[in-house]
Amino acid sequence: MSWGGFQALSHLWLLALLAPLVLFYFLKLKRPRAEIPSLVLWRQVLQDHRVNSPFQRFKRNLLLLLQILLLLLLVLAALQPYWRGGPGRQRRLPVLVDCSASMGALDKSAGSSRLEDAKRRVRAMIDGLAGDQELCLISFDHRPRKLTGFTNNKRLLREALDGIQVADVVSDLEQALRLAQALERSEPFDEVMLFSDGNFPARVNVDLSFKLNYQRLPPAGPNLGITAFSAQRAATGGWDEFVQIEGSSDAEGNASVELFEDGNKVASERVTIARGRAQRMVFQTRGDHAAAVRVQLTPDGFDSLPSDNAAYLDLPESRPLRVFVPKSLVSYRHALQGMQNILLFPQETSDEASGAFDLVISDRPADMSLTARARLSVGFIPSELQRFIEFGTNGSAVVDWRRDAPVLQHVELADLAMLDQPRFTAGAGEGDLENLDYEVLIHGQRGPLLVRKQDSDGLRLALLFHTDRSTLPYRVGFPILIANLVQAAMEQAGLAEALASRTGVLPPLRLKPQGRYQIQTPAQTTEAVVADDSGMVSGVAAPQAGYYSIRENGVEKRRVGASLVSPSETGLAGVGQIDFNEQLQVGAAVVAVKSDRPLWPSVLLGALGLMLVEWWHFQKKPGGWR
Amino acid sequence: MDLLTPRPQMTPLLTNSVLDRLGRLRICPAGRRTSRSRGEHLSGKGGMSTEFCDYRDYAPGDDTRFVDWNIFARLHRPYLKQFHKEEERHVVLLIDASASMKFEGKLNLAKPLAAAFGVMGLLNNERVSAYAVHGASEAPERLPPCRGRSNLRTLFQFIAGVEGRGDAPLDQALELLLRHHRGRGVCVIVSDFLTFGDLQRGFNLLYAAGLEPLGIQILGPTEIEPDLSSDLRLVDSETQETLDISSSADLLTLYQEYRERLANDLALLCRRRSGRFLSASSATAVETVLFDQLRRGGWIE
Repeated sequence: MSWGGFQALSHLWLLALLAPLVLFYFLKLKRPRAEIPSLVLWRQVLQDHRVNSPFQRFKRNLLLLLQILLLLLLVLAALQPYWRGGPGRQRRLPVLVDCSASMGALDKSAGSSRLEDAKRRVRAMIDGLAGDQELCLISFDHRPRKLTGFTNNKRLLREALDGIQVADVVSDLEQALRLAQALERSEPFDEVMLFSDGNFPARVNVDLSFKLNYQRLPPAGPNLGITAFSAQRAATGGWDEFVQIEGSSDAEGNASVELFEDGNKVASERVTIARGRAQRMVFQTRGDHAAAVRVQLTPDGFDSLPSDNAAYLDLPESRPLRVFVPKSLVSYRHALQGMQNILLFPQETSDEASGAFDLVISDRPADMSLTARARLSVGFIPSELQRFIEFGTNGSAVVDWRRDAPVLQHVELADLAMLDQPRFTAGAGEGDLENLDYEVLIHGQRGPLLVRKQDSDGLRLALLFHTDRSTLPYRVGFPILIANLVQAAMEQAGLAEALASRTGVLPPLRLKPQGRYQIQTPAQTTEAVVADDSGMVSGVAAPQAGYYSIRENGVEKRRVGASLVSPSETGLAGVGQIDFNEQLQVGAAVVAVKSDRPLWPSVLLGALGLMLVEWWHFQKKPGGWR
Repeated sequence: MDLLTPRPQMTPLLTNSVLDRLGRLRICPAGRRTSRSRGEHLSGKGGMSTEFCDYRDYAPGDDTRFVDWNIFARLHRPYLKQFHKEEERHVVLLIDASASMKFEGKLNLAKPLAAAFGVMGLLNNERVSAYAVHGASEAPERLPPCRGRSNLRTLFQFIAGVEGRGDAPLDQALELLLRHHRGRGVCVIVSDFLTFGDLQRGFNLLYAAGLEPLGIQILGPTEIEPDLSSDLRLVDSETQETLDISSSADLLTLYQEYRERLANDLALLCRRRSGRFLSASSATAVETVLFDQLRRGGWIE
């Protein structure tokens, strides 16, 4: 193992400057002639001086030797010597910096965050970057961002490093490693440096093709935070809000929890959190109007991570579920009429049915164009599936079904008989449906009987056989199926329960079609968005926890809260060892990474000192033969 | 003559006042070295002067004119009276007129000093001769021995005409001098004594020739306190040889040691031959050297 080296050996040619230096020295060396009466004394003096001074020969041309030494030092500095800091030295090194929420945790009150520690270490690496070394900075939270390409431009790297901010989202190491793998294909490297507090799953589904140097940051201080916040419609018509509070492994103590509805405090409670335990509590509010609810946690002691101390919930106004079922589907209407809080269209007395619905159930393809968050088509094949599914001539039977699917919970489908036979077309299979994001919930003998698709438009269910030509309406499971369907529709409409929106991406927003909006983030930055033809705005990044204000021409139209609510981030647990595929394990480095220490500043300082010595030697008294 | 009219300057070498003061002084050698010729200096041996010296027993054959008859009348034994012998003393002036003496007025001090010794010799009826040595291959300028006040002007003219040139080593100059000189006395050597040669041999020759060495070393101020900066190439004014030196405090300290050691060695050389030695700076006034340093040192009285 070598202890150091030179980063710019090509500068050795500068040693050739020795020749002109010596040449110029002797050309320039024109000693002033001083005629004196006699050399008798001087000759004896010099002889004695040389005899008594072993370095006298050296001192005869001391100035030349000092200049040579000075030039050698300058050449040495130009060669950029370094003292090896780590065991190896990489020419290209991607550096992954975790900037998830837990990286914002402080080690102590008014201390430094994990991210600041990571930045400090990376900055030391940048400072010690050799001329032939290149770093690539990648920050990652729930998604990776390549901040720089491979470069040794220290200013660029420092600027990119300074720009890394903590995002109140969970971290996804897999994505970051996959980005590194993609980089490796274009610019090969052998090692990747990872700076993180280890707050990610211990199991990572990545085949590592490089060495991962996992630099685990020291643990943060104790933290309490809200890890879950949701609301469910109570039987009374109001809302039950559930709050779960957890802490890091070393966190315990008291805290106060306050609930705000539209900015007004409506409830508060004191809680005591034991070490390693979670505290759950329920608040009850009236659901007579839509409300923005915020729950605020205030620990009595030091709390290392403030971003998880608040959670936000948007509660919709309580109303009946609007369901459209054509009069031809008697069995469905019959089942729905026995349920509460349901407005069934078209009503019995009229055929008029307009406006938006929460659930559409129909055996007519044209009805599927009605506006609704949940739709169930009955007895026909949706147009996008007609390439893969067709009707056969024989009947069919249920082979299996997803009993854990919410729609099919407690629904018994065994021995169900039907006259229709949906079957896969030649060469088609379940994979083709999956490619279209369809999920098969009921498998028939030759093809699917019920498929499900959930996307931004809402929930789509397609019964590929007509229930009127089956025994389903006569089964006990049929009203249960309808009840499940109504529950799913209520969830889609937000009438049954409400979950706190997590940070990362805002939930799809329904706004004015083609409307132009500005979204003001909690960090007071503004992002412009345009609603699509259906008025949906989706994919809005929400890296910080807090309220996002949707404005149109400066006027706030809506406010959406984004909450961290992540047990893993609040727990601040750090993984000491990462398990990769093929039984590959990567442990956290025991010692912090040490970057190569450049020696050229010291050499230059030495050269400067030598120059001062030379100047002093040249200028020192006594001065001149009078 | 009008007493208020200043007397004309007799010589540019010495002022009239110095000459007046020198007229009342004489050279005081440590030893008594005289020539057989009759002079005004008492010889160590018995002589025929009027100055009583001692008694001794009468021996047959002695001149009865020197019997002290008064003692004979009292003691009835003949005693012979002895008298001092007055002999002539030579004052040899050796002026180092090499090129090195031209520096910093060394020759300008050497010439008056030599003239002063010559004046004292002439005024005290001593035989004065002067030599100015230049080069090894060049015969020294020579003033033949002369005596009496009448030769003052001759002496002054000779000394005033001396110019610095050549590269005569002092040891060789002493040998050249002794080729021409005969007579005992003192030899006043005015030089910087910066020679590569062996002075011991020259002083031995002087001593053997009956000359008591009186060495006066004249050095320039920068020879006494040299001041250096940077690197210099020193050129010997006599030989044109060069020597490169670098400024160094150690070097100067060593130089001072060597200069003092040279002065001590020269003083020892002179003392061992009944002589005297004095080192003076060329910046010192001739009056100071004559009437302060030399007189305090007992050279003249």
